[in-house]
Amino acid sequence: MDNGKILSGQEKQSWFARYNESMHREGRIWTVVCLGFLLAVPFLMGLVLGAMPDMNRFLRGFINVAIIYYPTSLVEYLIYVPMLGAGASYLSFITGNLSNLKIPCAINAREMADARVGTPENEIISTLSVATSSLVTVVVLALGVLLLVPLQPVLSNPVLTPAFDNVVPALFGALGLKYFLKGKKFAAIPLVLSGAVCILMPSMIRQTSVLLIIIGALTIGVSFIFYKKGALEE
Amino acid sequence: MDIMEASLLDKLNSPAMYGIVALAIVLVAAMCVYFMVKSWRAGIQIGMDKNVLRKAIVSSATFTLLPAFSVLLGVVALSGSMGIPLPWLRLSVIGNLQYEVNVAEIAAKGVGLSGLKITEMTPEAFVTIALVMTAGILGGALLCLLTLKAYSKKLSGKPKAAGSGRKTFGDWAMVAMFVGMCAAYIGSYIGQAVAHNVMLPLLTALVAASAMAVCEFLERKKRMHWLENFDLAASMLIAMAASVLLGRVM
Repeated sequence: MDNGKILSGQEKQSWFARYNESMHREGRIWTVVCLGFLLAVPFLMGLVLGAMPDMNRFLRGFINVAIIYYPTSLVEYLIYVPMLGAGASYLSFITGNLSNLKIPCAINAREMADARVGTPENEIISTLSVATSSLVTVVVLALGVLLLVPLQPVLSNPVLTPAFDNVVPALFGALGLKYFLKGKKFAAIPLVLSGAVCILMPSMIRQTSVLLIIIGALTIGVSFIFYKKGALEE
Repeated sequence: MDIMEASLLDKLNSPAMYGIVALAIVLVAAMCVYFMVKSWRAGIQIGMDKNVLRKAIVSSATFTLLPAFSVLLGVVALSGSMGIPLPWLRLSVIGNLQYEVNVAEIAAKGVGLSGLKITEMTPEAFVTIALVMTAGILGGALLCLLTLKAYSKKLSGKPKAAGSGRKTFGDWAMVAMFVGMCAAYIGSYIGQAVAHNVMLPLLTALVAASAMAVCEFLERKKRMHWLENFDLAASMLIAMAASVLLGRVM
C-alpha cells in the first residue's frame, strides 16, 4: 500500500458515508456557482453586444428545447447516476458530453481498476476519470481554438471529411464489440430490434436519442429476465 | 458575406467575448481540479494503490483525446453562424456534440429565425439563443442539485450480494445499458445502409469493431495488457482512416 492505511469493512463504510456527505455539500456549492455563471454568460455577452435577451422569445424557444431535453435529462440522470456515484455525477452534468464521452470513459477506467458499482473505489475512480476527461477536453478545445485560424484549412480539407463525419460510428463500433462480448447472451436481441426499427421506420434514424432510451431500457429489461432465469451465470 | 454579417461576426469573436467564455471555462475547470484532488486524496486515504489511481487518470486522458478532437470539430462547425467563443463554451462544458447543433437550430427557430443563419442573426437573437441553449440543457445539473443526495441514499440502501464474487443485477444492468446504447447507434447505421443506401457509417463501425476484436485477442490471448490503455482510441483511429479510404472508393 502507499501512504494510506487498510481500513476494516465497518471503518470503510463510515469513512464512505462522511466522504459522500462532503461530496454532496461541495458538489452543490460548485453546481450553484457554475450554473449561476453559465446562466449569466448570455447577459454578459449582451452587455458587450449592446442587446439583452428577449424574454418572450426566450420562453418560446426554451419550451421547444425543454420538451425534448428535460425528459431525456431525467432518464439520463436515473440511468447514469448509479454508474457514476456522487462526485462524478456532479461533474458530468456540468461538463456535458455524457453518453458519448464521460460515461464510456468512466466505465473504462472502472473496469481497468476492477472496481464494483456502489463501492468507495468506484466512486473515486469515476470521479478521477470524469475530472480528467473534462480537463483534457477543456485543454484540447482551448488549444484548438487558439490554433483554429491556421488549422481551419487542414480541418476543413474535404479529404478528411469522412473521417470526422464518422467519429461516432468509430466510437460505437469499437465500444460495441467490447460490450457485445460482455453481454453476448442477450446482445443480439437489442441489435436486431434496433436495426429492424430503423429499417421499418427510417425516421428513427435521426432520433438516436429517443432510440437510445427505448433500446437501453429494453436491454436492461431483457438482461433482468436472463438474470432472474440464471442464464447469465459465468 | 456582406458588411453587416462581417461586423456581427467580428463582435461575436471580439476579445471581450473570449474573455467571458474563458472565465466560465476556468471556473468549471477549477471544479474538475478540486474534485480530482479530493478523490485522489480519498483514494490514498482508504489505501488504494497509487498505480491504480494513476492508471485511471492516464487511461481517461488517452480515452478522451480522439473524441475531444471531434468535439473541437463541432466548434468549427458552429463557428460560422455563432462565432467561436459561444460554441467553444457550449462544447467545453455542459454541452454535447451530438445534440448541440440541434439545440441551436431549435433555439434559432424558437426566437423567430428561419434557422441558424448568420444572415438573419441580430445581437438580440444571438443572446436569446445563447440563453435558450444554456437553460434548455440544465435538466441534469438541476436534478443533481435538487435530488442527487436523496437519490444516492436510496441507491446505497439497496441490498447488494456481498462476498460471493457473483455479479449483481446492478453490474449486468450497466453492461446491458451499454449493449443497448451501442445497439441503438449500430442499428441506426444498419437503417441508414438499408433504407438510404448510406453505407459509410456502418462500414466504419465494422472496421472499428474488427480492430477492437484484434486488440481483445492480443490482450486476452497474448497477454498484451498494456494495450488496454489505447485499444479504443487505436480502433477508432484505424476506423476513421479506413473511412477516408472507403469514402474515396464509394
